[in-house]
Amino acid sequence: MTPVTGIDFERLTLRDALDLAILIEEEARDRYLEFAEQLATHDTPEVADFFARMSRIEERHRMELLERRRTLFGNTRSAVERRNIFDVEAPEYEAARAFMGVRQALETVLAAEVKAQVFFSEALPRVKDPELKALFEELRDEEVQHQALVNAELARRPEKPDDSEAYADDPVAQ
Amino acid sequence: MIEDLVVGLAGSGGDGVVSAGESLLAAASAQGFHALMTKSFGSQIRGGESSCRVRLSTRKVLNPGGVLDVAVALNWEDFRRFGAELRIGPETVLIHEAKAGPPPQDLAPAGRMPREVIGVPLAELAKSSAGTDRAKTTVVLGLLSGWFGIPREGLDRGLQKKFAQKGEGLLEANRKALASGIAFAMEHPLASPRTLTLPVGASPKMLCDGNEMCASAAIFSGCEFFGGYPITPSTEVMQILARELPRYGGVVLQAEDEISGVGAAVGASFAGKKSMTATSGPGMSLKTEILGLASLAELPLVLLDVQRGGPSTGIPTKPEQSDLFAAAFSAHGDVLRPVLAPTSVEDTFRVTVEAFNLAEGYQTPVMILSDQEIAQRKETVDPIDVSRFELVERLRPTPEQLAGGYQRFSATSSGISPISHPGMEGGNYLAAGIEHDVNGAPTASGAIHAAMNEKRFQKLAPLQERTDLFERLGPPDAPLALVSWGSSAGVAREAFLQARMRDIPVKLLVPTLLYPVAEQLYRAFFTSVRAGLVLELSHQGQLYRVLRMFVDVPPGVTSFARSGAQPFRADEVVQRLAQQAETLR
Amino acid sequence: MKDLLSPNDYKSPLKPIWCPGCGDYGVLQALYRALSAIGRPPHEIAFISGIGCSSRIPGYTTAYGFNTVHGRALPIAQGVKLANPDLLVIVAGGDGDGFSIGGGHVPHAIRRNVDLTYIVMDNQVYGLTKGQLSPTSPQGLKTVTSPLGSIEQPINPLLTVLASGAGFVAQATPADMPGMTALIEEAIRYPGFSFVNIQSPCITFGEEDQQLKAHKSRMKTLASLGHDPANQLAALDLARAYGTELYTGVFYRNATPPPTYDAQIRQRKAELQRGEPRPRSRVLDGYLRAGGGPTS
Repeated sequence: MTPVTGIDFERLTLRDALDLAILIEEEARDRYLEFAEQLATHDTPEVADFFARMSRIEERHRMELLERRRTLFGNTRSAVERRNIFDVEAPEYEAARAFMGVRQALETVLAAEVKAQVFFSEALPRVKDPELKALFEELRDEEVQHQALVNAELARRPEKPDDSEAYADDPVAQ
Repeated sequence: MIEDLVVGLAGSGGDGVVSAGESLLAAASAQGFHALMTKSFGSQIRGGESSCRVRLSTRKVLNPGGVLDVAVALNWEDFRRFGAELRIGPETVLIHEAKAGPPPQDLAPAGRMPREVIGVPLAELAKSSAGTDRAKTTVVLGLLSGWFGIPREGLDRGLQKKFAQKGEGLLEANRKALASGIAFAMEHPLASPRTLTLPVGASPKMLCDGNEMCASAAIFSGCEFFGGYPITPSTEVMQILARELPRYGGVVLQAEDEISGVGAAVGASFAGKKSMTATSGPGMSLKTEILGLASLAELPLVLLDVQRGGPSTGIPTKPEQSDLFAAAFSAHGDVLRPVLAPTSVEDTFRVTVEAFNLAEGYQTPVMILSDQEIAQRKETVDPIDVSRFELVERLRPTPEQLAGGYQRFSATSSGISPISHPGMEGGNYLAAGIEHDVNGAPTASGAIHAAMNEKRFQKLAPLQERTDLFERLGPPDAPLALVSWGSSAGVAREAFLQARMRDIPVKLLVPTLLYPVAEQLYRAFFTSVRAGLVLELSHQGQLYRVLRMFVDVPPGVTSFARSGAQPFRADEVVQRLAQQAETLR
Repeated sequence: MKDLLSPNDYKSPLKPIWCPGCGDYGVLQALYRALSAIGRPPHEIAFISGIGCSSRIPGYTTAYGFNTVHGRALPIAQGVKLANPDLLVIVAGGDGDGFSIGGGHVPHAIRRNVDLTYIVMDNQVYGLTKGQLSPTSPQGLKTVTSPLGSIEQPINPLLTVLASGAGFVAQATPADMPGMTALIEEAIRYPGFSFVNIQSPCITFGEEDQQLKAHKSRMKTLASLGHDPANQLAALDLARAYGTELYTGVFYRNATPPPTYDAQIRQRKAELQRGEPRPRSRVLDGYLRAGGGPTS
């Protein structure tokens, strides 16, 4: 299942590639925000805050890329659309859980970063343009860095099973 | 000379008893009489016992009448089956097929056997004139013409209507049968002759039944969608609309069941169109949940319930007035929806227009409680000047309201909030059966729920002031009260007139609006009252019970109620009123 | 004039009540995307649903929504569409809403062929009411209302809908977001009754081996099997595997869709209203003629 549809990597321009990267961050940003909302509505405040922070981080990445895009190409219309990408860096919906712990949330983020890294790695051989190659390598490497950060966080937290589910009330029929 | 004649005919379905009645009705109408015809059948689709009664008068006809002036029995078994509907008395002229022999001893209780009984060789006359004994009923029409003065031309036109399409020979044959009936009447005058006064300077009239009036009024009111399902005795409404409504740009859907019928109507209302459904008792039960949905979602809807014998499958072909509880109360939760009831064929038009106005104006389902008698009896109706009706459209949001922050269920002083519909830009909202806030978003908040219930009830408060939906006749300070609704009100009106002629101190109240109960109005009405009757056709006396829920009904006011299929007669109501008047002395 | 509508233009501020991890979140996202691709503005869309977790979905979009009563979304939606055929009408609900209490309405909606799209979020359980048996639960499933294991055979929604003659029948899973999005879009575009059965697992009451992770490994696209969607018989055959196999894609698409019910109504209206327009105020004229009086 390819997370990207309707894009011909061989014909991709630098502008398109930047737009693609921007959309990937945008999708991740929106997904983390959704998770933050879901978890806030379902009494999991600590992780809701965590995902809200993740959302802001992705937004920063997006803005940085957007800046670069504007400097190089101004505000010309993008040829790449949101509909072309599906969960490239955005974690899948099923990753969220009511009462999930921070460790589980970190693992979700880690998985998302790995997904993104794989995406850029696989895209690299199909891309000819040297500037594009440079961009994708940069983006791939960033994902690797992010993973390191997340792993560090994980290491700081003991791997004890999260028992908040045990404290929670039974589900309520509506 | 007589001004009023009630004729009852009974035989089996194959005899064409009902067609004869229709010819008689058409003749009467063409002549300028006021006339009314009811029919009654057995349960077979064809060929079961069959009867009709036709009442003609130079005065407005208020109900099908009590004891028959003329009874025609083609055979005794079938005639006997209609004992309740075709009541005979000493003054009745009883005409019967001679071959059937004299009337059985137990045909009528002691003291009620007709004094004038005439055996006519109907089958023989039919055979010799028309060549078949099936033309019996045409001979009967001739007899009625000869004995009671019903003009021949009118009857001839009736024959034309029935037989012209079925072959020229048949029409000629039946004309001969008519002539032979007239001849027999001339040769055998009645012992106590009575001839109908002919109407003078009569004006054109419509000839129609309650279902036709309801369908026409729906069209007139701007109805654009009908969703329903066949059920006796309301199916005609759907059939008429299926034929007519598309000509006006509307849509009629015969859905797969009662629930999807009203469901589609609610969907159409959500889409912004005036819509309706029609049914009878069993369908009412099924539609209950969707009615509740429409109330909670504050969607306009008109629902016609043509009441029949209940409960459950009951008696599909006979009238009863036992759906009031269901109309007012069914659907769980605190639901308030207006219930209207017409009292005659003519009244059905006005009440249907009113129902659409209330539905659209108050954004609520509105029930119309008709019954089998009103819905299916054919009646002459004076032309209706439709220009006197105002039509109400639902309150829609203004462009300013749509431009920013439109709230579908916003709090307003009247409780009525402007309603948008899909296609209206800026009016997007979530409609739901789930309790909701001003935006339509689901809520479980007790405070919001209370406020919304208050809104839904409050918006209907002006109905309490609608004195125009009540007919009150007679001296306001009369100590005796007669209250009635639906088809029974026709009998009540006649009883009221007769009672007044006997100086019985009675006043009449006929509500069109049955629910919510207009408490102030009833309180004022009952102030002077010490005794009286609430007249209705149901085992429990449902209006009587509902009134007692909301108003202090004086203890002397009793329920005069009985199960359907046994219609009231004016004379028995007058008798009770007279008895009560005695107790007041 | 607004630019092309983005998926977020279809997102309402209402927060879903669905448990985090619910398959319906994916369906909602796919819906935003599909609607954005089709481009009808939210105010021209009527989104009708019944009762159940998945039936809450209209409120999470900016379209006109109508969250009706259990099992009756299809007839109500048909009323909406027939009253205003210019609207884009979508119907949604769960397997219980659609095939238990609503089951009686399904064949009629199909044979009536009003142009609408019916999306069923099938999770083999009654989630909103806490985990009872549903009509698509596999035989033997132990639930709170079948503690010893269900005795009944499940209904096969794909076979039922195909056998009733639907012109577009597909199945999808949020485990394949691009595939599901494309199918929803295609279903909406199909002119007539279209059906998408979405295997959308219940994270709280569904079986562990039925979650999206399992979908990823189990699912097989119909295309990969070489299926030709124009072949109704082949579609019926493949649909029989419902419950055993998770086939995604288009089972059947009628290559020559017949005119929809609403299109035919439109045509009839046009024909009937040719010539003199008929004022509603003259509706009683016919009864005067029937009365046969002096002026008739």
